[in-house]
Amino acid sequence: MAPLDQVLALGRANSLWPMTFGLACCAIEMMAAGASRFDLARFGAEVFRPSPRQCDVMIVAGTISKKMEPAVKTLYDQMPEPKWVIAMGNCAISGGPFVFPGQYGIVEGADKFLPVDIYIPGCPPRPEALIEGILELEEKITGSRRWPRVQCG
Amino acid sequence: MGLAKIKEALAGLAVTDEIEVVKTIPAPPPAEGEAPGKPVEVKEKVEQNMLFTPDYAKKGYHLDVKVTPQDVVTAARILIAQEFFLESITGVDWMKDGQIEVVYDFNLWQTLCRVVIRTRTDRTNPEVPTISDIYSGANWHERETHDFFGVTFTGHPDLSPLLLPEDADFHPLLKDFKA
Amino acid sequence: MSADVIDKSLETFVLNLGPQHPATHGVLRVKLTMDGEYIVHAEPVLGYIHRMHEKMGENRTWAQFMPNTGRLDYLAALSYNHGYAMAAERAEGIEVPERAEYIRCITVELNRIASHLLWFGAFVLDLGGFTPLLYAFDDREQILDLLESVTGARLTFCYFRFGGVYNDIDDNFITGTREFIKRLRSRMPMYHDLVTKNIILIKRLKDIGPISQEMCRRYGATGPVLRGSGVNFDVRKHEPYSVYPEFDFDIPVYTEGDSMARYMVRMDEMEQSMRIVEQGLNKLPEGPVMAAKAPKILKPAKGDYYCAVEAARGSFGIRLVSDGTNTPYRLKLRSPTFSNLSLFSEACHGMLLPDALALMGTLDLVIPEIDR
Repeated sequence: MAPLDQVLALGRANSLWPMTFGLACCAIEMMAAGASRFDLARFGAEVFRPSPRQCDVMIVAGTISKKMEPAVKTLYDQMPEPKWVIAMGNCAISGGPFVFPGQYGIVEGADKFLPVDIYIPGCPPRPEALIEGILELEEKITGSRRWPRVQCG
Repeated sequence: MGLAKIKEALAGLAVTDEIEVVKTIPAPPPAEGEAPGKPVEVKEKVEQNMLFTPDYAKKGYHLDVKVTPQDVVTAARILIAQEFFLESITGVDWMKDGQIEVVYDFNLWQTLCRVVIRTRTDRTNPEVPTISDIYSGANWHERETHDFFGVTFTGHPDLSPLLLPEDADFHPLLKDFKA
Repeated sequence: MSADVIDKSLETFVLNLGPQHPATHGVLRVKLTMDGEYIVHAEPVLGYIHRMHEKMGENRTWAQFMPNTGRLDYLAALSYNHGYAMAAERAEGIEVPERAEYIRCITVELNRIASHLLWFGAFVLDLGGFTPLLYAFDDREQILDLLESVTGARLTFCYFRFGGVYNDIDDNFITGTREFIKRLRSRMPMYHDLVTKNIILIKRLKDIGPISQEMCRRYGATGPVLRGSGVNFDVRKHEPYSVYPEFDFDIPVYTEGDSMARYMVRMDEMEQSMRIVEQGLNKLPEGPVMAAKAPKILKPAKGDYYCAVEAARGSFGIRLVSDGTNTPYRLKLRSPTFSNLSLFSEACHGMLLPDALALMGTLDLVIPEIDR
């Protein structure tokens, strides 16, 4: 990446402004991630804006129903470039626990109509998982990861 | 006591249904030297007044009255006069009988007394009069039942979809619904 | 109220509130017909998170439906677990051991406190104050730690089983809960000083959004909405279930019927829930946490059954229709917030928009519970 692009990418990655787009249960874990204990503000992503015109990233947290799908698409279209989408929770990834033969009401995953950048599995994912998702997104934007990876085992 | 009063008030509205019961006729005593016979099970139709006071610990409600669709309005008037509040309205699809049952749940604030009003209507063209002018909360409950079962509540001000999309033309909780 | 009742001489415009809006109740859309800042007509539009719970009830076995109950009202999921477990146990005739009943009540009441804390933070956020949210979430995280150590989940619990609970509580939980109650009791005066006695909050809530008893009766409103209007109706005292008769607690009732009354009901309920948890921990008997003879596959007798519990938002009812097979024939979920929201249209007529939002906040909405 050219040096100016690198600087811009660094700036964008470390000040991601999410949109308050909590649809269902995952919204509460998103709120918890922004609240006192887990504190998204450390990563620059605390400013949740209600208006799509002021956001960078849309965190689709919750089940997308067929009635809601046009509204989600409209909101995504209203966001200015550059923009990213994080699919948080099983429902946004693939419909979650609400997929059964004969289901009539939900869209099985945000990637059916949106370009999703990061998938965060869980039902609901822990706030730490959301923070990890944001860090992965930062890595995707800048090309390198500033924070250490959690080693398991 | 709330239960006795409401039972008396609703007794006149209860329908009488023909239901099938299974009767066991014991075998006649055997003649000398013969083996005893087996009891015989016979199905017969009896008339049953559809007002029950079930065991609360087992069922969870105190009074169960089945009325005709037209009498639902009269029952609602009696109940609101006796200060009952509406808990919920729902439907049950009895596909084998070709009927849809609409079930109304009422309860009292002062003493515990749960009253269930049921009515059955034909499945191909289900129609029940609305009680939304008596109980305003019934407005949304009836819209929801219409969404899920297609029951038309005659006299309802606005039976547009509540939980389904505005242009939905299907009724998902019917047993023969295919997505 | 239909459109032709609106006075034609007013110059009105339609304002769309939602389905995406910062008052994070979920996806609720309200079509407001406004005359300047005053609301002439409000029509809530639902269905944006309709997740087909009742249809799933017919496609899942009795046990497979339990996780769904955790996703209805995710803030107080344990009381929904409780309602469904009780309904199925009533239908099948399973007796729950006493220790399990005590654990159920303790965890449900802790969940109720967590739900009210989140309501408190989000409500004051709606009114414009950001700070109490952070304090409330801090306390709530402590409850979620305790519940996670026992149930394994933070939010959408699926802890109860037919016949008891699946995991016993340990001494860490008991000591942790006792410490938490001590801590929250010492923090409540701070909440009251910071928020309840705040002149701005009082001016925004006192005499705003009156809901009469007669309106509650017509709409079937229950829970703190009803208790804020002067009616002493709480399923735990009115229709006692589980081991609630063993506990000594009060039901806070305020007669004013305005938003301040509903706010105070919930604040006082937190204190009463703490009393129940304390007494539960003191009286906790030894014994098994699962019924010895609980069947693995439920096949209740034919018929229909009703069961009600006091959830954080009101009286949650389940109407089960069983046809003797291993899946329910019909599963109706009576959601308290559905009935509570239905009176919004009538109650906010003629109000200023910010006052209507304060009223909506005191109704304590969780939209997935309405849409099911």
